[in-house]
Amino acid sequence: MDTSDSEHFESADEFHSDSESSEDTGDKSVLDNLDNDLEKRLGNLNIDENLGNISAKQSENSVSNNASILGDIEGNRTNEIKVKNDYKDNPIIPKRITDININSLVETQVADTPNQDVLVNRRLVDQDIPAQNRTEKQHKSECEIVTLKKHSTESSSEKANDDQSQESETENMWDNNEWEPISIDNVNPSVGKNIKTVSLPEKTIEENLWENDDWEPIENKGDDSDDTWQKEEWDPIENKIAVSSQAKDTSNDTTWGGWSTWGVSSILSTATHSVSTLTNQVSQGLSNVLENSMGIPNPEELAKQHLNEEEKICGILENVEQNSAVEEDSKDKNYNGFGFGNLSNFVSGVSNLTKFVEHTGNKVINGGLDTLETIGKKTMEVLQEGDPGLKNKRAFLKLDQDKPVLSQVLKEAKAKAEEENRALQQKNISKKLNYESLFDDYHGLVHLEALEMLSKQCDIKLESLSGACAGDALKEILETLEQVRELCELPDEDDEDQSTLEEIEEKIESALKEINIKITYDKGISTWKEAENWLNSLQLDICDDTEIHQKALQVLAQLTAIAVEQFHKAGELLLIKEHRSTADEADSLVLLTTALTSLIGFAAGKFSEKLNARASGTLNKEKINDLITNVFFEFLHDFTGSQQQFIYTRCISTIDTCTSSRCCINKITMKMSFYYTTSRFSSEICFRFKHLIIVL
Amino acid sequence: MSYAYLFKYIIIGDTGVGKSCLLLQFTDKRFQPVHDLTIGVEFGARMITIDSKQIKLQIWDTAGQEAFRSITRSYYRGAAGALLVYDITRRETFNHLTTWLDDARQHSNSNMVIMLIGNKSDLESRREVKKEEGEAFAREHGLVFMETSAKTAANVEEAFINTAKEIYEKIQEGVFDINNEANGIKIGPQHSPTNPSLPGAGGAGGSQGSGCC
Repeated sequence: MDTSDSEHFESADEFHSDSESSEDTGDKSVLDNLDNDLEKRLGNLNIDENLGNISAKQSENSVSNNASILGDIEGNRTNEIKVKNDYKDNPIIPKRITDININSLVETQVADTPNQDVLVNRRLVDQDIPAQNRTEKQHKSECEIVTLKKHSTESSSEKANDDQSQESETENMWDNNEWEPISIDNVNPSVGKNIKTVSLPEKTIEENLWENDDWEPIENKGDDSDDTWQKEEWDPIENKIAVSSQAKDTSNDTTWGGWSTWGVSSILSTATHSVSTLTNQVSQGLSNVLENSMGIPNPEELAKQHLNEEEKICGILENVEQNSAVEEDSKDKNYNGFGFGNLSNFVSGVSNLTKFVEHTGNKVINGGLDTLETIGKKTMEVLQEGDPGLKNKRAFLKLDQDKPVLSQVLKEAKAKAEEENRALQQKNISKKLNYESLFDDYHGLVHLEALEMLSKQCDIKLESLSGACAGDALKEILETLEQVRELCELPDEDDEDQSTLEEIEEKIESALKEINIKITYDKGISTWKEAENWLNSLQLDICDDTEIHQKALQVLAQLTAIAVEQFHKAGELLLIKEHRSTADEADSLVLLTTALTSLIGFAAGKFSEKLNARASGTLNKEKINDLITNVFFEFLHDFTGSQQQFIYTRCISTIDTCTSSRCCINKITMKMSFYYTTSRFSSEICFRFKHLIIVL
Repeated sequence: MSYAYLFKYIIIGDTGVGKSCLLLQFTDKRFQPVHDLTIGVEFGARMITIDSKQIKLQIWDTAGQEAFRSITRSYYRGAAGALLVYDITRRETFNHLTTWLDDARQHSNSNMVIMLIGNKSDLESRREVKKEEGEAFAREHGLVFMETSAKTAANVEEAFINTAKEIYEKIQEGVFDINNEANGIKIGPQHSPTNPSLPGAGGAGGSQGSGCC
């Protein structure tokens, strides 16, 4: 230890001179200079001179340092890395630097004026130290601290330390109780309490350090040499206090370096150790701060760091113990040999302080990390508690599986919802376009169903009748049935009858007259007239194909439903009619059917016209419209035809003739199914074409 | 539009007891004091909700005239519910209940729910049939009884909906075979005919229907 200490001393002296000359020079040169300075200083310890020089330099340096620090801070990852490397390279150095230390250092660095410790502290507090310039910062901070201390000491007027004896200075400082508080307050505003708790001798040390403000460069340079120094005393120092104290110590050492003749080598060595440790710690702290404060990237790295830190801490603790032992020895020596009881006390106090600071710093860092770790562990425990073993694993696996799925699930759900919405829209449109449902809405289906039921009933009757007959009677019945069927034969759809509405109305009226039952088709006609008005008022450029088509479907469905209803009514009325004329009824029914068919065809034609005019550009559209029209046309024909046959069958049944009503029924049902399919088909095609048109 | 079930109702009873008015009140919520004689059968439909299921009531309002009796009888088939209506101000309509009931029982399925309704309860001053008599008749023949007024809409909704509830309960109990349309129950449309890609709406009725099986 002694040898190393002396070496450190020398380097420190050199550093002093160098630092004075140029702080900006590289660390190595600074270190070399430091060594030289230290030696020189040890040789000639003119405290006053040193102080004066230091103060002057410090002020300058501090300014320059600050500037450079800021620059460095703003962006040197490389610096950080270097720092880390430096740490790694220094096995002796316990790398634990607390954030507090860093902050304090930075703060101190930032503050140019020594007396403005408070201000500095504020700055420190305000500023999250980017502390990327580990060494530089450290140096600066140390320097600043030193300057601060110096200023305070100077202000206290105690600092006029004569070359005569550094001891006297130190003694004076210690003796000056006044100083202690001042220095403490000034130096450790941020640290505050800790500093207060620090023993008086520490304060004096701090003062000394201030005096040694010139030492900043030493610290900088001293990464290597300082490390050893710092290690002794500084290992513990993690807090600003520690830093400051370290700086002080180093300063003391330097000053003492001159005193080395007195055999304070041990103290010096401790001081150097402390300085070195300080620097290391500071650098580490900076790195930590940097890593921690600036979006720390990899948790793995953090964990590694944590481990390293723990190791470091252990090392530090060991070092601290060793240091303390050394210090005690040195103290003893001092006491015995030089009677520097105060000094030894001071040193011990400093070491204690540093230890305390370090511990607190460690606690802070470790505590934070440990807290995180414990939280994580606790979380895991809680998670695993009720579900040990495989279940747990499964749960976790599931969780892992679910996690990525969640977003996907959301996406899928969204897509699904959109699809459903689309489907709903389609459904609404298609519903509107659905002839069947429209037809049902107008009770066309129910009437048809009721009609069918009636037909069945009559069919049963006819069968029983024909079954009761035999021979000629049966023949007769069959003949009659055949005649009736011929009577009911609908004229083949002669498309020539593009009759006007008036003609159709006439037809219907005459037919109703002939059939002599109380049915009316006013409803149908009025419905068509309404639709016609709608069509005429339609503005082709505004309306949309779907609208027209929808309206067409609606009107046609309504007309058909009305027709069915009236057929149904007619059938019912014919069945309860007392005086019947089969031939007349058949004729009128045929007439009625053709009239209604032409009415519906007329309506369909009108709609098709409009649609064609609207969609004249698209052949497909026309085709579709024609298709629809034809579909309805045909349906109505078939339907009415079968209807008539049915009704005719009824008539015949009442006159005790057999008829093939069953065939009629079958025909009806067949037509129905045909109708269904065609209507579905047509509406679907229309729907698709509508989409096509929209797309086009 | 889409429904889980369709129940077919028939309304039977003497002419002039207010069958068509009951239907109009139920479907249109209005009262028409003068009503044309019904020819054969008229239809009404309304959606109701039972057990959060949409149910379409398709009501066949039959003609009460004797002349249509033979025709209306053929409409009984396939009814899930029947409203047997008499006029509390006309005792003969009450006296004819047995005939109607026999007709209905004969031409419909045995599970048909029949609700006895004494209509025109608003004409209390002209009441000829006591409520107790109606209750007794219903009790005797296993019917549900209710006095209604198509004019004031009193109990009209309840008459239709309670019947539907009873039918629904029978479905749940498995009494009705809903796959047999002769029972007057149809399952809602599985798919809209024009939309093969419509599992949503159509599926609702379908799944509900299958769930009841």
